[in-house]
Amino acid sequence: MGRSEDNKLHIVCCVKQVPDTAQVKIDPETNTLMRSGVESICNPYDLVATEAAVQLIERYGGKVTVVSMGPPQAESVLRECLALGAEEAILLSDRAFAGADTLATSYALSQAISLIASNDPVDLVLCGRQAIDGDTGQTGPGLAIRLGYDLFTYVSEIVGVNLDENTITVKREIEGGTEVIEGRLPALLTVELDLTSTRYASLPDMVRALRQAIKSWGANDIGGSPERFGLKGSPTSVKEIFAPPVRKGGLVFDSTEDKDQAIEDFLDTFFEKEMELLVELLGSEGG
Amino acid sequence: MPKNSKGREIAEIIPQKCIACQLCIGQCPVSAIDMDGGIARIDPEACIGCGKCFDICPVEAVTFEKPRKKKMVGIGQKTRPLDDYRGVAVFIETHEERGADVSWELVGEAKELAEKLETRVLGFVLGTGIETVANKAVAHGCDVVYMVDNPLLQTYLSKVYGRILVQLCDQVKPEILLLGATPLGRDLATVVATRLETGLTADCTGLDVDAQNRLLLMTRPTFGGNIMATVLCLNNRPQMSTVRPGVMKMPEIVSNGRGEIRTLDFEAPDEVLPRIIDFIPKAAEVEGEDIAKAAVLVVVGKGACDARHLSMFEELARLMGGTIACSRPVVEAGLLPYMRQVGQTGKTVAPKIYIGVAVSGAVQHLVAMQGAHRIIAINIDSNAPLVQIADYALIGDYLEIVPKLIKGIEARMRSRTG
Repeated sequence: MGRSEDNKLHIVCCVKQVPDTAQVKIDPETNTLMRSGVESICNPYDLVATEAAVQLIERYGGKVTVVSMGPPQAESVLRECLALGAEEAILLSDRAFAGADTLATSYALSQAISLIASNDPVDLVLCGRQAIDGDTGQTGPGLAIRLGYDLFTYVSEIVGVNLDENTITVKREIEGGTEVIEGRLPALLTVELDLTSTRYASLPDMVRALRQAIKSWGANDIGGSPERFGLKGSPTSVKEIFAPPVRKGGLVFDSTEDKDQAIEDFLDTFFEKEMELLVELLGSEGG
Repeated sequence: MPKNSKGREIAEIIPQKCIACQLCIGQCPVSAIDMDGGIARIDPEACIGCGKCFDICPVEAVTFEKPRKKKMVGIGQKTRPLDDYRGVAVFIETHEERGADVSWELVGEAKELAEKLETRVLGFVLGTGIETVANKAVAHGCDVVYMVDNPLLQTYLSKVYGRILVQLCDQVKPEILLLGATPLGRDLATVVATRLETGLTADCTGLDVDAQNRLLLMTRPTFGGNIMATVLCLNNRPQMSTVRPGVMKMPEIVSNGRGEIRTLDFEAPDEVLPRIIDFIPKAAEVEGEDIAKAAVLVVVGKGACDARHLSMFEELARLMGGTIACSRPVVEAGLLPYMRQVGQTGKTVAPKIYIGVAVSGAVQHLVAMQGAHRIIAINIDSNAPLVQIADYALIGDYLEIVPKLIKGIEARMRSRTG
């Protein structure tokens, strides 16, 4: 797979619609999730990936295609990406995809991207580092392996693309520091939240995004083995779900009435009860 | 019993229990189930009352009253001979010829799992100059250590490491493979699981086994830490998991470890590999400011997001030998950089002492700091979620409380040293 003749970039961004976990609260009485009225949003990491892709296009020329797998309502996140500057949007929606774990998801996405690339060669795939609902961070890397692309995770900066040499240089945040690494195109990057900040779409762009047609592909459109999609293609299954253990509150010192006394009381109690910890922490000064 | 207009007894979703896993949608033979506002909904007219959604639902969010026992879906459809796979393997991550702490924690955990399964603990060590690491793996309790020692493995490349680990799994056939949920471990685990087409559960905080069925029970926080899920990998091997650092206990070193070390050859791949141009280590200064490693954190919340008071928080942190961190709104306001953000989209921290200043404690923040040894909350609002879980809550205006705390702590330190 090489770049199209015009020497411009074709970037595919994979985005996911997720529940806004910031709106989810735990009912303190029943200790269950209160999800009513929780909005669906575009995974914030994926918005950063799309913004980064659009910036690359502004620098090097080319086009951005966004792909999402999800129910028909996931169209809204694709429109959000179109408003940011993506040119084309494809929704993978089929009951056959339901219940997919990361292995089955990366399979369906790889089928779709291979199909996209067969018409218009793909140079780069950008994914968010992880989705905020599942937090696995596995779909992007799995997709890279299936496509046979060079994989760069935890990307904090895209240093540059060399269209003549067909290479890309990125910075990755890893244990102990930052790695600067160069790989060949096509490549897949998973991006950090602070790679760039997302622009505000202009009104005309939003209107254009709302009017644009979104392609919808099902299992038959993208080909592949039906037993590798969705639930059937997912080796992992959830056995049970339970509420996380909740820490119990401790001592309360109310300084709204007698300020000095409450703080003194707190410090006395703290230094008495936590002496061992303080000695460990403050070492020579404390002990 | 609910019936539709055709008189069929139908299944219904209990919206409060539904976790939007969509398993029922894939299972329904007549496509009667849709997601509606993040909750599964069954079309009563389309439902044929087969009960398959009832069987698959992991959280009993489906009511179905036809007399019927809940079936275990999935078990018994073995796709490959699982009995060939034995042993609990740990990938031992090395940096500069030292094993990562999380790897030793995992060897300790693997020992417990292997005991229940009556099998062996295997260590996979890749790198260069790693003989001491391999020896240490034996000392920590590995029965067999497979070592691939080659200068080309000095730095991690997912392609190269992935290929070796896949080969090792094909050769050794472990039933379980554990990796640390570090940047390297999470990257590598996905590469290997995808190549082997097996199940991988990310960032686990608890592991156990069902010894009778030789199944690994992998527990992890999900949905922004709002719920815990226990995940199984029924029919594929190895069962793979990455495990969060600092969760499992560090095992004791046994000087008479009897494990053996087997050295394996490495064939350099003949393809063009990514080229590492540079590595910029975090400056020692910055490293000391790493909020994930700090023993004491003074965490600035939305209610204290004011540049004029930052130096005061820094002073408190310095006094306690720690550093400052913050919640997400403070980063969004531009007061502190992203690297100091505690939370689901920031860093997970587990300091000895966490001091939250006007941090209300959104769920996404709490999940990333609940591992703190002691929590102190300073807040004007006694109903703030962080106040509810704090070991010590100081109710009042932080502008009055923090300066007094600084003075009080200084005085107590002086009296002790003096």
